[in-house]
Parts: sequence; C-alpha cells; structure tokens
Amino acid sequence: MIRSKGGALATLLLLLPPLALYVGVYLLPMLAFGGASVDNGVLGQRFPRLAAWAASAAPVDDAAAVALLADLGVLRPEERAEAARMLNQDQPGFRSLIMTTGNAAGTIGPGLAALRSFDARWAEDRFWFSLRQNLEPVTWRHFRKALGLGLSPDGGITRVEGGDIYLRIMLRTLVIGFEVAALTVLIGYPLAYAVVNAGPRLRGLVLGAVLLGFWTSILVRTTAWVVLLQTNGLINGLLLRLGLVDAPLPLIFNRFGTVVAITHVLLPFAILPIVNVMRQIPAAQRDASRSLGAGPIETFLRVYLPQTLRGVAVGGGTVFILALGFYVTPALVGGPGDQMLAYYIADFMQKQLNWGMASALGIMLLAAVAAVLALWFVPRLFAAPSARRP
Amino acid sequence: MLKLFSGAVMLAVGLSAGAQARDLTFASWGGNYQDAQRAAFFKPFAAQKGISFAEDTYLGGLADIKAMAETGQVKWDLVMVERADLILGCDEGLFEKLDWAKLGAADLLPTAIHPCGAGAVVVSYGIGYNKNGAGKAPQTWADFWDLKTWPGKRGLRAGPKMNMELALIADGVAPADVYKVLATPEGVDRAFRKLDEIKPSLQFWDAGAQPVDWLSTGNVAMSSAYNGRISNAVADGKPLGFVWTNNIYGMDSWAIPAKAPNKELAMEFIAFANTPAPQAEFPKYIPYGTSNVKAADLMAPDLRANLPAGVNMDTALFMDDVFWADHFDQISVRWNNWATQ
Repeated sequence: MIRSKGGALATLLLLLPPLALYVGVYLLPMLAFGGASVDNGVLGQRFPRLAAWAASAAPVDDAAAVALLADLGVLRPEERAEAARMLNQDQPGFRSLIMTTGNAAGTIGPGLAALRSFDARWAEDRFWFSLRQNLEPVTWRHFRKALGLGLSPDGGITRVEGGDIYLRIMLRTLVIGFEVAALTVLIGYPLAYAVVNAGPRLRGLVLGAVLLGFWTSILVRTTAWVVLLQTNGLINGLLLRLGLVDAPLPLIFNRFGTVVAITHVLLPFAILPIVNVMRQIPAAQRDASRSLGAGPIETFLRVYLPQTLRGVAVGGGTVFILALGFYVTPALVGGPGDQMLAYYIADFMQKQLNWGMASALGIMLLAAVAAVLALWFVPRLFAAPSARRP
Repeated sequence: MLKLFSGAVMLAVGLSAGAQARDLTFASWGGNYQDAQRAAFFKPFAAQKGISFAEDTYLGGLADIKAMAETGQVKWDLVMVERADLILGCDEGLFEKLDWAKLGAADLLPTAIHPCGAGAVVVSYGIGYNKNGAGKAPQTWADFWDLKTWPGKRGLRAGPKMNMELALIADGVAPADVYKVLATPEGVDRAFRKLDEIKPSLQFWDAGAQPVDWLSTGNVAMSSAYNGRISNAVADGKPLGFVWTNNIYGMDSWAIPAKAPNKELAMEFIAFANTPAPQAEFPKYIPYGTSNVKAADLMAPDLRANLPAGVNMDTALFMDDVFWADHFDQISVRWNNWATQ
C-alpha cells in the first residue's frame, strides 16, 4: 500500500505527544540518573586548592594541610556536610573528621603538624589517599564498589575481600528470574491450553481466576502467601493434621517461598501471550495431522508446540524481566539470602542517600538484562530464514 | 545531573499538584503511629487555630526531602524524622533551623533539643516474646541467645543498627561501653562473632508490624520489636510480652523541611506539640514515650508502666546516631555480606 504524504504527516503528528512524553519523563531522567553513577560534581568542585595539590602528585605535606584548611574554611556549612557525607561513603569516620576540622578551620595553625595535633586521624594515610582519589569531576568509585574492586596505594586495581557481594546478589537475581520464568511457563502452558480449548463457561471461569490475581494488589497477594506458608499456616496445618509431616516444613523466609510468591504474582504475564498465540492456531490443523497418520503426541510435538513457542518466549521473557525488578515480595517472604538487587538499589536510594551507588547498581542490572536478551536474540538474527515462521 | 533528574520527575508529579498555597501538611510513619498523632496533636492543633490540615506518609531516609529542597516543590511542612536523618539533614541544610527561644525548651528531655528538630516520640527496641511459647519469660539479651531453654527462631530488624549493640550487650559489654567497643575493628568482629552463634536461627524484618505477626503465629520464639507494637498487640488480646532490660531507645523528632511554605505555622505546631497536655494524650493511642517530662504527671499510672520512661529505662541504652553517621556505610556493607552468606 502506498501512503499519501498527508497520511505520513498525520502519523508523525500522532506520534509526537507520546514521543515527547517518553523523552521528557522517561529517557532524559533515566540518562541523567545513569550519569549519577560517575558524577562527582560535588566533591570535584568543593576542594579546588586541594585538587591542585593532588594533581601535582606531591606527598602529604604542609602545603596539603594548608590547602585543605583553606578549602574547608570557605565552604558553607551545608556544602561541607554534603562533602563529608560523600567522603564517608569511601572511608568510615571521614564524616566526623571533616565536620570537626571544618568547624575549627580558622583556628588550626598552618602545616601538617598542627592539623595532626588537632585530630590524630589526619596522620592516617587512608584519609589522604581517599581525598586524592575523589577530587575529580568524574568518579568510578561507585562502579568499583559494585564490582568488588578497590584501589591500591600505587594506583592499581585490587580485589576487595568480600567486596563481590553485589555481583553475587546480581547472580542470585538472575537465577531467581530464570526459576520464576521457567515455572510460570510450565504452569501457564497447560492452563493456557485449557483456556483456549475449554467450553465458553469454563473458559470464562479460568480466565477470570487468572485475571482476578492480575487485578489484586501485589502486597495483598504476597501477604496471602505469608498466611498460607508460615510455620503455623494453613498448608503446614493441613500437612500436620494429615500426618504427612511430624514438624512444620520451612516453607517461607527462604528461596522456596520467594519463588512461589513471585511465580504467582507474575503468572498472568506468561499465560496471556500463550493464550493469544494458541487462539490463532486453527483446530483444522490438528485434524489434518491426525488424518495424515500422526498420533496425538506427535501432532502436539510437531504441529502444535512449534507454533506456540513464540508465545512461550514472549511470556517467559516478560516474566523474567519483570522478576528481576522485584523487591517487595522477597522482602516479605524471603530470607536474608533471597533479597534481590532491587532491594539494595532502593536501600541506597532511599535510606543511605547514595544515589551514585544506586545508579551504578541499576546500570549493572540493566546491562545484565541486555546481555541475557542479546544471548537469546542474536542467534535468531542469524538463523536461516526458512527456520523462521512467516 | 541529579537536578535535571529530580526536575523531570517533579515536572511529571507537579503537573497535577501545582504550586498553589496548601493546607498545613504533616508527614509521618502511617499506621497506628500516625493515627495516634492525628488524635493527640494534628486535630487539637487544627481546632485551636481554626485551620484544616493534610497528611502524607513518609518512609524514612532523606531522599524525598532532598528532592524537595532541590526542586523547590516542598510538599510537607512537618515531617517526623529519625535522629540519624535529622543530624545528617540539618548539617546539609535540608531542614529549617528552629528558634528554641520561642519554642520553650524548659521541661523537655535534653536529648529532645536539636537545632533543626524537636524530639517528640521515644521508642524502645527490646525483646518481644510469646507468653504461650516459652516455659518462662526471657529476661535479658543473653536469654535471646539461649536456644536450649527457648528453642525456635529469632527475629531481628534488618540491618546492623541496634543489632550490633545488643550483640555486644549479650556478650557481656556494659551498655555504657558499647559504642567505645564498637568503634574498634575488634569490637565489630566481636559483635559479628556473637551473632554467628545464633545465625542459623535468625530471620530479619523490615516493617515494625512483622515481628508482632511472627510472634503471634509462632513463626519465631523471640524477636526484637518496638515496644509500642507489642503493647498494641497485647491490647488486642495477643499473649505477647516485652523485655525492658537493656532496651535500646531512639527518639523521633518533628522537623520542618527547608523552605516549607507554612513554616511559621509549623513552628507554632512544634511549640504546641512540646507542651505536656497533648503529649499526655498521645500514649493513650500508642504506648511510646514523650519528650516533656511534665507529661508523665498527667498520665494514668498503669499507662506509664508500659512506656519507655521511669524504671523501664534504668538499664537502657540511647542509640548513638552520631556514631552511626560515621560508621553505617562500612558496617552495613559487612552486615549485608554476613547476612546473605
């Protein structure tokens, strides 16, 4: 079909408002927030004299002490406190050191000896080393921390003992995402089949039951699982009464409870795409296959299943990506070993006021999702055209 | 960059909100806690001044307040903050300075007076237990560690705050020395070693309502909990108890976000909230302590016995938020490492 020029213009005009909204309230804030992971504007601007000293690679000397006191002396108290909080993210105790030194900046004599007699902590190398590393307008300290890396005094990159915590949490997040995606597909596929092939009344009932969960608040659904799974909850009560177990099973505050609850929350996202694809498969195809001699199993495997894989991929993929961002559900039904990366992002964002770290972890999560999608998508790009469905 | 980010978010939010003059707006912690504040403070003050007021819920931290300060869209006039956030936020200019000469500091606890905040609610963190579960009532944090006498899971608040302190107390450190010990690397090691002893039995809560739930349903044998949550559960007929020995207490304060539009009215509210009469009303709804020492005289004796006040606080430890401002970043990384392994 050939479109007229006016039609193209109309399409463009129709696209403009959503595009503006997308750029304005989604893309720009996201990019800006991504920038927070390397932005060191605050520390980079507040210590100009000290930055000049650091750039000269001079040892910690009287000039450094004089530059530090001069910089601290001209900062407004709020600026000083903000800088102190950020330095404290790098070295514990730095906050109070900067605050007390800053408050007395005018009264401390010039020189390193006077500074050290004011507060002995200025004799510790780690504070000076940290200052040296954090005076540039751009910093990699958040990414280093997220990846479990540190800087050695000679400027090399080192591994920090126990610092790979966020990488381990990242891996755990991906594993939980996979488990949930696999389970939703395994449960959702037969359910979708039932929805498509049932009579109209049963179909309405099953689809209604699925959608009812869809419309219920995630908190309510998660809390319902707490009631069911807890030590003296309904399921354990039933098992004990039937004599199937002697003591209550640990069903909650562990990985089992986490995966079950997330699977339930996300099940509709897997079912609906599969239903959609199954509906488009004419029943006549199965009859044709059977009449040509294939048994029911062969018909399913060679005629039906391949046509539904697209729905399975869309449903499973959607569930996987949505599961990666979960944090309320694991917080309520998981144990300490089941918290996902989003929990820590929220913690850095809301509680610790460390948006740089939140941003670095967010980018890490985004990169992981992109990598997983690429693994799934790229082979399809190069697949022989005949293998692709029209 | 953050300004651009906050600006865009606020643009999206602000399109509907607008910047017109609005009612005096309180932000607090929701639930029973805010219900009690509404009854004891918000409504009487609004009636006295002949104004209407609005409320919002606050989840802790400084992120919201910093975003408001940076964008100039200050949607709260009063916010109930924890002390650690009050100290950090005050230093960074996120809260208005209070004029204590006008507010009347005479009968307040000394810890309630801060340049940017008026301490209002004293909250104790101690052992909650189910009276039907254990043979006898636990008495100390050392009992919390005694898995033989009181078998079963133990609940603790997620994160290192207060838990490091109580681990040291359970290990025999006197409350007065806790922060001295904790300031050394050996002290932190010692606290983690102590927590290791019961680690397989621990599960962690985020919201104050969770331990009450866990205790009532028998999910845990004991859990650290806030005293008011336990008292309210007892009032609802649940068979729970609370151990006051060596409880760790903190204080929540009223603060005014910087450039709040109803700043003057907010100051008047703080002056009102500092007086004994409304403070004596507050614990009737939720049993937390108050900041004006005269308020206790106006309370019924059986109510006073359940508050973080008087004899209950003889062995208590005041949480040192200045210590945590310095050490939280480092200890919390180690805590997360420890908790997830």
